[in-house]
Amino acid sequence: MTKLVVQFDKKSMTGNDAAAYAALYAKPKVIAVYPITPQTTIIEKLSQYVDEGKLDAEFVIVESEHSALAACMGAAWSGVRTFTATSSQGLLYMAENVFWSGYGRLPIVMPVVNRCLAPGWSIYQDLQDSMAFRDAGWIQIYTKNNQEVFDTVLQGFRIAEDKKIALPFMPCLDGFVISHTTAQVNLPNAEDSFNFVGEYSDPVIEVDTENPWIFGGLVGPEKFNKDRKDLMEAMERAKKKIVNMNKEFGEYFGRTYGNGLVEVYGDDVADLTIVSMGTIAEETQDAVDLLKEEGLSVNELRIRTFRPFPEKDIAEFAKKNNKFLVIDRSVSFGHDGQLRIETEAVLKRNNIDTPVEGRIMGLGGEDVPYTKITATAKEVLKE
Amino acid sequence: MIEIIQISRGGSGGVTGAKILADAAMHEDKFGYSQAIPKYGSERRGAAVEAYVRFDNKPIRLHSPVYDADHALVLDESLIDRIDFEKVSKDGVVIVNCTKIPEQFKGSGRKIALVDATRISQELGLVLSGFTLVNMTMLGAFAKGTEIVSIENLVKAIQEFWGEKRAPKNVEAAKRAFEETKVVIA
Repeated sequence: MTKLVVQFDKKSMTGNDAAAYAALYAKPKVIAVYPITPQTTIIEKLSQYVDEGKLDAEFVIVESEHSALAACMGAAWSGVRTFTATSSQGLLYMAENVFWSGYGRLPIVMPVVNRCLAPGWSIYQDLQDSMAFRDAGWIQIYTKNNQEVFDTVLQGFRIAEDKKIALPFMPCLDGFVISHTTAQVNLPNAEDSFNFVGEYSDPVIEVDTENPWIFGGLVGPEKFNKDRKDLMEAMERAKKKIVNMNKEFGEYFGRTYGNGLVEVYGDDVADLTIVSMGTIAEETQDAVDLLKEEGLSVNELRIRTFRPFPEKDIAEFAKKNNKFLVIDRSVSFGHDGQLRIETEAVLKRNNIDTPVEGRIMGLGGEDVPYTKITATAKEVLKE
Repeated sequence: MIEIIQISRGGSGGVTGAKILADAAMHEDKFGYSQAIPKYGSERRGAAVEAYVRFDNKPIRLHSPVYDADHALVLDESLIDRIDFEKVSKDGVVIVNCTKIPEQFKGSGRKIALVDATRISQELGLVLSGFTLVNMTMLGAFAKGTEIVSIENLVKAIQEFWGEKRAPKNVEAAKRAFEETKVVIA
């Protein structure tokens, strides 16, 4: 199935269009959705594709996000490829089923178009919504641009549907900044894309829908702990799977994102390393270049995969670097930004004494231009 | 990199226009990469809506709004004061939907592209729910005023977006504006 670098059409499209294209090309059998800003245009596109006969999927319109994911869970249990998408309050409303599908090991692909949580009522981006679900047993990848949205959604089906992984997959994209911004995407054709994803022919789980049975048994601590341990191990295996998928994707489409877990920009060793995720991480690349022009030594470590958390990659990079500046676009109230907390923990337990500074930026759509990142880096360098 | 700021009223098609302009720039050999960023909020029909467009010859890694624009597109003359022209390059072009040089630019030495976009669009029947769709018309004026996007690539982008059925009127609007736009030094 490996074919070297397929043909592309360079197209201008929004990040949500890119997500919808990837879903279209992966041919899910069931899509169950409820609209919410800024996710809505993904499902609008998909409903259009189904209506036009371009996509042969059961398009289930439900009365809430909770039901949307419930319908997806039913579909995933019956062993078919399943897709949905949501944002913010909608993701919160799904909460019970988000955990259920994670702990239930259901390979659902669900882009989360990141939007802050109310109150105050706002529609703009930060990572508070998906971060609230970091413990839900979902794989989370934070994308930096429209191209990566397409690529990651496509990769997601293969990662989630691998029997050895069997985990739901949450590609995250910044609301408006990616979702509604038009930029270029090198779009492969439908056939090449589907060839990469392949049929979902060996389902993780498959209920006999002709003769369905439900066992509502109580799970004792022994089996319960075994299941949780299995989930932890699956997350560990997912790291390798994401690395391999990134590699295989690169061979097929000619594009990779670091090693799939983290992406380094700039020199391998620097006085300061900026650690961030999503669009801030891409904007940071311009900051790194600018600082270099000014004679300052700064590089970047972008965390692409947040769940599973790339402990080894972060530790290795920290070992040879001098100082970390972690930019968080979300907060664990009563403690700190989640990325900073986890990065510090990783360094501590690997006995690495690289100091870590943290900044919380860009909440509720606050703009974080490269000039601001540059100024912050200078400030931290002086400390 | 070229950066553009646009101001329009919700309902006049500004967000769509920015998207099509970005696509037209992608087709230009000298650029190839572009971005259109609509500024969403509680905008509704009639409210002022900003959008930002960038062109470059390499992938654009910025995700912020445009702060220092090269060119400014003003789809509704009554909104002109919403743009801080201190931050718009003196070497750029201001494209305005009006027939006379706006008072504030007189004697400024700025390059102004003037077009009666509202009239052109109305003559072509580009009116929806009482709002005149001046977006494609203003893109024609942009192509003429700045000369950085060709009318051919603009037409190509308009056709791709609107499809066979709806493209002709929109293409006509851009072409007529391209013909009628007057470029003056204020």
